[in-house]
Amino acid sequence: MRPIGCRYLAVISVLAALATALAATRPRYGGVLRVEMRERAASIDGVARIGSLVFERLVRIDHDGHPQPALAVSWQADAEQTRWEFRLRPGVKFHDGYPLTGATAGGALQRLLGSGATVGVAGDVVVVKSDRAMPGLLTELSRPSASIAARGPDGQLVGTGPFRVTRFDADRHVSLAAFDEHWNGRPFVDGVEIEMGRSTRDQFVDLQVGKADLIELAPNEMRAAADRGARIWTSAPVELLALVFGPGRGADNARLREALALSIDRAAIHNVLLQRQGVATGALLPQWLSGYAFLFPASMDLPRARQLVAEVPPGDRTLPLAYDPTDAQARILAERIAVNARDAGINLQVTNQARGELRLVRARVNSLDGALVLAEMAAAFGLGQVRVPAGQTRPDLLYSAERGLLDGHRVVPLFHLPDTCGVGSRVRLWQRPGLGRLGSLQLADLWIEASP
Amino acid sequence: MTFRTRLLALFILVIAVAVGVVTAIVSTRTARTFERMDNARSEALVAQFRQQFDARRKDVARRVEGIASAPSTLQMAIDFSQPNPDYSRYVDTAQGLAAAQGLDFLELVAHDGSIISSAQWPARFGYKEEWVTDAGVDWKQQGAFLDRVQLPESEPLGILAVRVVEAGDQKLYVIGGGRLDQDFFASLVPPAGMRVLLHRGGPAPKIAADETVHRIPLVGRQNNLLATLIVTGSRRELEELVHSIVRTGVIASAGGILLALALAWWTTARVTRPVERLAAGAREVAAGNWKARVNITSRDEIGELARTFNRMTYQLIEQRDRLLQAERVAAWRELARRLAHELKNPLFPLQITVENMKRAREQYPEQFDEVFQESAATLLTELANLKQIIGRFSDFAKMPPPELQQIDINQVVEQAMALYRAQLAAPGHPPIQPRMELTPDLPQVAADPEQFGRALGNLLLNAIDAMPKGGTLTIRTGRNNGAVRVEVSDTGEGLTQEECERLFTPYYTTKAHGTGLGLAIVQSVVADHKGKIAVESEPGRGTTFKIDLSAV
Repeated sequence: MRPIGCRYLAVISVLAALATALAATRPRYGGVLRVEMRERAASIDGVARIGSLVFERLVRIDHDGHPQPALAVSWQADAEQTRWEFRLRPGVKFHDGYPLTGATAGGALQRLLGSGATVGVAGDVVVVKSDRAMPGLLTELSRPSASIAARGPDGQLVGTGPFRVTRFDADRHVSLAAFDEHWNGRPFVDGVEIEMGRSTRDQFVDLQVGKADLIELAPNEMRAAADRGARIWTSAPVELLALVFGPGRGADNARLREALALSIDRAAIHNVLLQRQGVATGALLPQWLSGYAFLFPASMDLPRARQLVAEVPPGDRTLPLAYDPTDAQARILAERIAVNARDAGINLQVTNQARGELRLVRARVNSLDGALVLAEMAAAFGLGQVRVPAGQTRPDLLYSAERGLLDGHRVVPLFHLPDTCGVGSRVRLWQRPGLGRLGSLQLADLWIEASP
Repeated sequence: MTFRTRLLALFILVIAVAVGVVTAIVSTRTARTFERMDNARSEALVAQFRQQFDARRKDVARRVEGIASAPSTLQMAIDFSQPNPDYSRYVDTAQGLAAAQGLDFLELVAHDGSIISSAQWPARFGYKEEWVTDAGVDWKQQGAFLDRVQLPESEPLGILAVRVVEAGDQKLYVIGGGRLDQDFFASLVPPAGMRVLLHRGGPAPKIAADETVHRIPLVGRQNNLLATLIVTGSRRELEELVHSIVRTGVIASAGGILLALALAWWTTARVTRPVERLAAGAREVAAGNWKARVNITSRDEIGELARTFNRMTYQLIEQRDRLLQAERVAAWRELARRLAHELKNPLFPLQITVENMKRAREQYPEQFDEVFQESAATLLTELANLKQIIGRFSDFAKMPPPELQQIDINQVVEQAMALYRAQLAAPGHPPIQPRMELTPDLPQVAADPEQFGRALGNLLLNAIDAMPKGGTLTIRTGRNNGAVRVEVSDTGEGLTQEECERLFTPYYTTKAHGTGLGLAIVQSVVADHKGKIAVESEPGRGTTFKIDLSAV
């Protein structure tokens, strides 16, 4: 009896422990998620991360980069990809209770696509037609700019997302509440409180003292956050850190630009300042997106840089390097670049002025369409037109286009960095990662652990 | 320049020189005193600097030692002693440590000299500070030292200290320091008017011309010159003081000069007024007023001089009176002698003639008539001589005052010459050649034509008498300093100097039969016409009389 009794007792204990463990990991409704971020938004759709919680698109891109149904349950295209049909998801409601109709979705698409395409509606089917092939239309429709929104009775924008806006203080605070009638079911958390304009340092402190559940992390804070038990969410490397030359006497000297590109010790910066987050790069598109980024050299060649500088008139060897003063890490990065440049004989004067002959900038990868990203970056950096159309997926054409942009060293890519979030101990997530591949917040499957 | 002016100038000069000398002496002494004070203050400031510098060195060394001995630093050194150490975890460490310890500079340096973390230049991680790994230096014994610190845009001076944290075979160097800049020097609190500057090459700091300068070299660990401490002292206070002294001196001089003017005016007035009175008295005496008196009652030298002057004039008058009396007596004696002489000459023939007539009547009655006739003729002749002599004396005595009228002198001269022209060519007398050199258009003179004509006649007669062997008689008219001049020259034997001096004395004559009244009458006439007469003569070369009469 006694051994058998003991065995039962042991089984019961194991079962009890399992039950307790399951209860601890089981999703629960309720609780408010406290989010802090550095960005400020003047409107609800001004920040992509907030907008993705409130507004939805017809199509979404999953973590592997594949298009998945969202407000459209299915789609089809003709062989030339000039005509696309999207069938809307039935039963979708806006936050003000009005249903999503073909007319609303069609109007939003027409505004997005402009005169390049014609949008028609037939019941719950939205038809997009164009004279040209539209191979990248799904990617285009998955971008935040393709969100479907309507004007509510009070004139405010309303969406169909898992959270609705209950309060919005421009640049300061956003309160979101779970949308009970979301087509994919109510989120676990009752609401989300978002503090905007918080420095990464303050965010880090708030996470540690339990005032925040979800914060942005600078690369140099990741190790400390991990040491203190915080969980880290990272996206794919979606942010390009680069030097961009503007007009100016020194900046117009091709030898000086090349010399600066060759003088930067990316490895040291990556190892120390970025604490090995992201990747050093010489390309605009990240390796995970283009597959050929390694073909663009990112190594330092100081002798060659000095040789090039020797051919530059001494008066042209000095130029200001501007950085964004709101970017916590930008200054030290700029100063380090200036130290490297000094070794090559280039005098960079680090300044926090917005404009300058040379700027340290960040540019985001907002799409999985490499051609589209190249076009956006070229426009942002003032590099001119990209010779490949959006949706083009042939690597050789993309490489050629990117090579064309980088020749002349008007832009010196430095690093591709991921979005990184620190997550507090109360936050639980079941299946999907909390950050999308492009860094969007995905909070619908997140719940808050009940306090003991 | 009058005596009073000289006295005034002397007063002013003496006061100005005295004030100037005093001002210069005071200014010089003040400047020397100020320089001594400035040197003393500079030395005190330098001593203060050295004291604070030493204190700062000790402070820096203590703070760096505090960092090096901290457990966290030891833990860092232990981490770095592990294989493949991750320096990136500590890239921001130096900034926090430096802020906590109040250091301006702090670097954590790995055993190979690579910068792990830099507070002053965070971006410089990975670069080498090779000097710190110099095996020849014992950093434990080395105190804080002065050195240049590399920064992105500058290379300031710092007081640095190095300490070594050892973990096994590995070393972690802690290089910390404080900035030695103007703020540090500002803590020296220099006395008012002094400045402390740091010169590190390049353009020299601006030092005003009125500043004194003391330079102290600042050397580094290897005695290399890193900078120069410049202590300047403003001479403005001195210059203001000197200016004030000079200004006071100038004001004192001006006041003194004004006071001297007033005082000298009053003093010189007291001194010179009696002198002026004396001068006025002397001028009166010179003008002929021998009765002039100087009324000065002071008992000083001037008063004595005035009394002496008064006595002198009194004695002069007395002497003049005595002289006049003596001259008058002498003149009477001379007159008596001349009268006796003149009268005795005719009287002796008269006496002889009368005695001859008496003897002839008694001894030769038959011849008496003849004798009588001859004697009567002789008597008449001698009586005529007596009458003539008496007439001359009578004329001299009866010289009337001139009746002045405007006359042409040339006309008077020609008339006088005409009277004596026949006498010049008289037979039996060697010929005398007359010569007239009359200047036409002479101004008229106020003269009595009769008296002046007689005077000219006397001169002509005198000239004729002076040329018994013949010669040339020249009469000349002309201008002389606003007067009209008449000259009468002969080519006779001439006169001696003594004769010239006595020539116008009444009854003095060089001629055998002269009365000695002719030239006396001439002088009397010229004097009555307010004129002047002079004589020039040399023995053997003739004599010239010159008469000047005032033109109308």
